[in-house]
Amino acid sequence: MQAPARSIRRTVYRVLITLIWLGSGAFLVAWSGVYNVAASSGHWGVVDAFLRFGMRHSVSLRAGGIDEPDLSSRDLIALGAGHFERGCAFCHGSPDKPGSPVAAAMLPAPPSLATPLHPWTDQELFWIVRHGIKYTGMPAWPARERADEVWAMVAFLRKLSDIDVVEYRALAVPKGDTQKGPSEVPGAALVRNCATCHGDREAGPESALVPRLHGQRERFLANALDQYAKGTRPSGIMQTVALGLNGRDMQLIAKYYAGLPSIPAPPSVNKHETSELGRKLATEGDPARRIPACISCHGPQMHETFPTLDGQSAAYLAGQLRLWKAGHNTATDSAAIMAPIAVRLNERDIEALARYFSGASAQEAAEMRP
Amino acid sequence: MKSARPWPIVAGAIGLAGCSDNQSVLNPKSGPAAELAQLSWLLFAMGAFVLLVVLVAVFIALRGSDRTRAVVASPRAVVWGGIAFPIVVLTALLIYGVWLTGASQLRLKERADLRVSIVGEQWWWRIAYEGPDGKAISSANELRIPVGRATLLELTAADVIHSFWVPSLAGKIDMIPGRTTHLRLEPNTAGIYRGQCAEYCGGPHALMAFEVVAMEPNAFDEWLSTQATPARQPGTPTTTRGQKLFLALGCGGCHTVRGTEAAGTIGPDLTHLASRRSVGIDTNALSAASIAAFIRDGQHIKPGNLMPPYRLLETEELSAVSAYLAALE
Repeated sequence: MQAPARSIRRTVYRVLITLIWLGSGAFLVAWSGVYNVAASSGHWGVVDAFLRFGMRHSVSLRAGGIDEPDLSSRDLIALGAGHFERGCAFCHGSPDKPGSPVAAAMLPAPPSLATPLHPWTDQELFWIVRHGIKYTGMPAWPARERADEVWAMVAFLRKLSDIDVVEYRALAVPKGDTQKGPSEVPGAALVRNCATCHGDREAGPESALVPRLHGQRERFLANALDQYAKGTRPSGIMQTVALGLNGRDMQLIAKYYAGLPSIPAPPSVNKHETSELGRKLATEGDPARRIPACISCHGPQMHETFPTLDGQSAAYLAGQLRLWKAGHNTATDSAAIMAPIAVRLNERDIEALARYFSGASAQEAAEMRP
Repeated sequence: MKSARPWPIVAGAIGLAGCSDNQSVLNPKSGPAAELAQLSWLLFAMGAFVLLVVLVAVFIALRGSDRTRAVVASPRAVVWGGIAFPIVVLTALLIYGVWLTGASQLRLKERADLRVSIVGEQWWWRIAYEGPDGKAISSANELRIPVGRATLLELTAADVIHSFWVPSLAGKIDMIPGRTTHLRLEPNTAGIYRGQCAEYCGGPHALMAFEVVAMEPNAFDEWLSTQATPARQPGTPTTTRGQKLFLALGCGGCHTVRGTEAAGTIGPDLTHLASRRSVGIDTNALSAASIAAFIRDGQHIKPGNLMPPYRLLETEELSAVSAYLAALE
């Protein structure tokens, strides 16, 4: 009985000694400074291959079991496009122009995404865009709770290899209000970045996942920009844009969009159905489930800090309700009011309400009130 | 150790002081409550008597002479003192107790002068008086009843089991979802009594208290007829702005102010909010400032309540809304 116990003890002792030697050796190598950390020195081929091997398997392991939306959706692609130009093209390049030489000198150099993105699966791409990759310079998505935004980016990345420079520019490059000269509206020069996704005087948003700002309330818009810039309202896309604005810019942009006449969404987006559930929740609420009528806050008489829902697409409205319900948007003063109410809605309510408000204006809804 | 001695006396004094306030079984202000107090005193007295007998028996068993100890230990003493005595005493007390509470149950069926429906909700009281014309007059969190008349309460609950207890006026009775229980209040003295939810109902259960204001009949009739009227229209620029904001902010989605568009039924009726003594919880005396505090951050006053915090209001907007509500007498 005693001999095996002694041999186990001896083995443990040897392993410990070996670990201490290895640790001390690693420390000495780091301390001496012989290891060259220069990005310019690159990796040995075998090290590079090993690191890629490790990365691929790590991503593949973690990307299992993620549910995937329909990535061929035009709405997802258009939403992803606007952010790609601002967030990704600097390093990865685009059909419009190559990536910056500054980024190209990174180790590893950011890959061009215009070639087909093999061998990543959609789920793996989603995981990479959401979490980034350690030691490579690939950042995580700034608002990790916004999986919906990450999917938009993945949808666009899948599309990227198929589009030429003309189509890319139409989708992703800022256009802005072209109306110049003495009649130029204050703020028009600032909205170049906004217009890529939200449209301008001439057009509404390309994507049904992007809110229509035309005719929206000014104080609400300025508050929203401020909340995005502070990161209290989470959005990887909007935070990136809003951070570059000062308070005066925000006021001007808010004023610009608030002053635009509304451009109705195309009928394909406006799947307005007067379902009884949607009408009832919107105009009467459901007191038994503690759900107040939507139009008590979003009716024609609403407070300046509340948004009008007129003209918004069903996809956008449902997406926002789901964010509140999931607890991904609770930190702002306005979310403090909306989030506890959205929690009481189920998926059927959300669908019905989104369809209802995508067709009915606040005025119409108020008139339907019993 | 010596310094610790006054504490039992102090604690006892505080305990006794509790007996004379407005939330005490031992300070009855109605017939049925007096009967319950009488029953309580009888039980205390009997308990004290039995305790004394037991202590004497223990003393004899420990210190008595052999002869007296033999008496205590005899089978006869066990049969009479340990079996017959408890059976007789407990049966008598049970019969008396059942007769007493049964009598007040019978009185429930007698004609009442006023009917009030009360719904216990997490964590407030929805109150509706039956007006002289049979129409319901909504209020919340404060019950007013006339002295010398009988008020029949119809009690139920909206979510979980609550319990309605105003110790100075009546016994307590559970409020059960899907079922209506009844309680009859007939205060004999005007005054303000405190009641409480007496069944744990979640989170801020301890804050689910309320006041019962027993009023002289004439004053009560006048009060009830005022409650039946629509809300007073705002009379100053500030309160006018407050009313506009109240509607714009969607307060009417949950609250009713009769005479305006606000017709929500999820939260308390605010038509005559300013005629109540408190806002949110009974210890939060009503004032424009306490209304403002509840609007801005009611979650710190009554955690978990359904009202979202309206932090987005400018100071000026908040004071206009609370001025409007504080003028709804």
